[in-house]
Amino acid sequence: MRLLEIVEVLRTRKVKQIAYGILLLLIIVDFVIPRHEVHFFGDKIPGFWSLFGFIACVVIIVASKWLGKHGLMKNEDYYDK
Amino acid sequence: MIEFIHPSLFYLLGGLLIPLLKGRIKQGYMLFLVLSAFLAVVNMPHGIFGVHQFLNWELTFGSVDKLSKVFAGIFALMGVIGVIFSFRVKNDGEHLAAFYYVGGSLGVTLAGDFLSLFIFWEIMAFSSVFLVWYRRIPSSIDAGFRYLLWHVVGGLILLAGIILQYSVSGDLTIQHLPFHGWWPTDIQSLAPFLILLGFIFNAAVPPFGAWLPDAYPAATVTGAVFMSAFTTKTAVYTLIRVSAGSEMLMILGVVMAIYGVVYAVLENDARRLLAYHIISQVGYMVAGVGLGTPLAINGVTAHAVCHILYKALLFMGTSSVLYVTGTAKLTELGGLYKTMPRTMIYTIIGGLSISAFPLFSGFVSKSMTVAAFGEEHLMWAFIALMLASAGTFLHTGLKVPYFIWFGKEQGIEAKEPPWNMELAMIIASLFCIGLGVFYKPLYALLPYPVHFEPYTAYHTWESLQILLFTQLGFFLLLKKLWCDNTLSLDTDWFPRKIAKGFMWFINKPLATIEYNYIGEIYEFIIQKPILRIAKVFQKIDTVAVDGSFSNLGKWVLSWSRKMQEAQTGQVQHYAMFMLAGVIAVIIIAMVLP
Repeated sequence: MRLLEIVEVLRTRKVKQIAYGILLLLIIVDFVIPRHEVHFFGDKIPGFWSLFGFIACVVIIVASKWLGKHGLMKNEDYYDK
Repeated sequence: MIEFIHPSLFYLLGGLLIPLLKGRIKQGYMLFLVLSAFLAVVNMPHGIFGVHQFLNWELTFGSVDKLSKVFAGIFALMGVIGVIFSFRVKNDGEHLAAFYYVGGSLGVTLAGDFLSLFIFWEIMAFSSVFLVWYRRIPSSIDAGFRYLLWHVVGGLILLAGIILQYSVSGDLTIQHLPFHGWWPTDIQSLAPFLILLGFIFNAAVPPFGAWLPDAYPAATVTGAVFMSAFTTKTAVYTLIRVSAGSEMLMILGVVMAIYGVVYAVLENDARRLLAYHIISQVGYMVAGVGLGTPLAINGVTAHAVCHILYKALLFMGTSSVLYVTGTAKLTELGGLYKTMPRTMIYTIIGGLSISAFPLFSGFVSKSMTVAAFGEEHLMWAFIALMLASAGTFLHTGLKVPYFIWFGKEQGIEAKEPPWNMELAMIIASLFCIGLGVFYKPLYALLPYPVHFEPYTAYHTWESLQILLFTQLGFFLLLKKLWCDNTLSLDTDWFPRKIAKGFMWFINKPLATIEYNYIGEIYEFIIQKPILRIAKVFQKIDTVAVDGSFSNLGKWVLSWSRKMQEAQTGQVQHYAMFMLAGVIAVIIIAMVLP
């Protein structure tokens, strides 16, 4: 099936390298993008939102897992006991 | 020609015939009903219709303006998609429950007075609970009862607010009653406070939102698709109508957006994960309603429209997986891309839409809501909502598709779902992409004039950076994201634990005291003297009274035998009877001139 072949191609190593290329391109282009809606200091720094996205992702995962380990997560039969 | 036909009539009245029909005729009839209701909404002129005198009150069933029309429109459209998705459901009760649920939400949207709003509000709660119960597994029965309890409490608070509002102002018309501060300070502000509280129960605002991730994943395959769309979004609609500009909503909404994301990290059941993301997304809307500027209200309305479509699409994707494989748990799934690739594409389209990827529907609506905060220079809210956006993409766009369709190869036998389920997903996918690309028609429907352009170079670039670098983080931290089969404590811990403690108190100390001491004392002081007196009366009774009443008694006995057959002892059946009675009264009120 064709759809399956496309998915298989997307899972190869080369696509991964292209993806890293795109990430780099995102930051580079951000140096020249015109800014007309500057709300706060972060809008003036090139690549600010790239850093924000990455840190946000890490913070959400680490903080949530920490909360889960320290009380929020229980066994599935917690309420049945 | 009739100017205004209430679209709920197709659902509430037309739906009654569904159990009498079979096969293709039934499917055709259901499609006819939902399409007719949609056309009725599209053709509604603006104005006030369906005014009825009921006792001392004036009930208004059809109050149509731009705001109610766009919400009624998306509810009616979702009705069409949901019914196509559930075409093959064999259980007529489930169809009826879904029809009354959708009909109820249309009734709330078009209600012009608080009393009819409340009636439809309760129809929604009591019909949707059947979508949970009809899953027919013990955990769903329990979750359904908890769902109902939350909604009964919320509904009563709302009713108290409505009654108070009526006694203070003598007016039941739905009007703008913003509430300022966190606590009511005088009797004047108590009614807006209680009404707002009733609404935020249904909007699943923490700490009153634990019913949502409890009940939605417990619902039937198709039931969850309906539920994801209506309850919270009707609440958002009523909040816009009545409580726009209440500052507490702004803070609660932002908290809600983050709260849903945090719980989604811990969640293993794909449908519960999506349920937490409903809370997160509705958080954007609640926050926008709290801000209350025209840009914010436009953003909230647009977001509700887009949200209903992409969330239904996501629920349809995961419900299809549940339907085919029998589970929606991420730990039990994996490697499905070989057998269900088309379902994967639809789900990813839903995931990209909810994450506000450029060219998908969420981008044109979420950015408007968030921009409203930027415009008011509320940077803390702006940043927090941006953070929640990253979390949304992390879970719905990446975690769910990755762990279901790739992840660990489990060798599960699966195939694409039946044609009707796929058709419903295709329709929703087309809307998700269509609204993202051709957003002008949507903007034209919004309550205020729109001067907002989502596709500016900087804004598009900002979103792409956040999303793609979130993706980088996802793949780098993938090892941390493997789930366990666990349960996450939510605010329903309090009622559930208190109820357990209460039952223990009744069963253990109270029962012991009662049985050993109170019972004895009671027998000695009260029971014995009463028995003696009773003996005297008994003599009078057997001689004089019995003869005349024995005939009446026989008649009552035969009647109660008949009644006995209707008494199944199941609360579900009683609830259904009560609901049927209420609905019959409403339909009569709506149809009578």
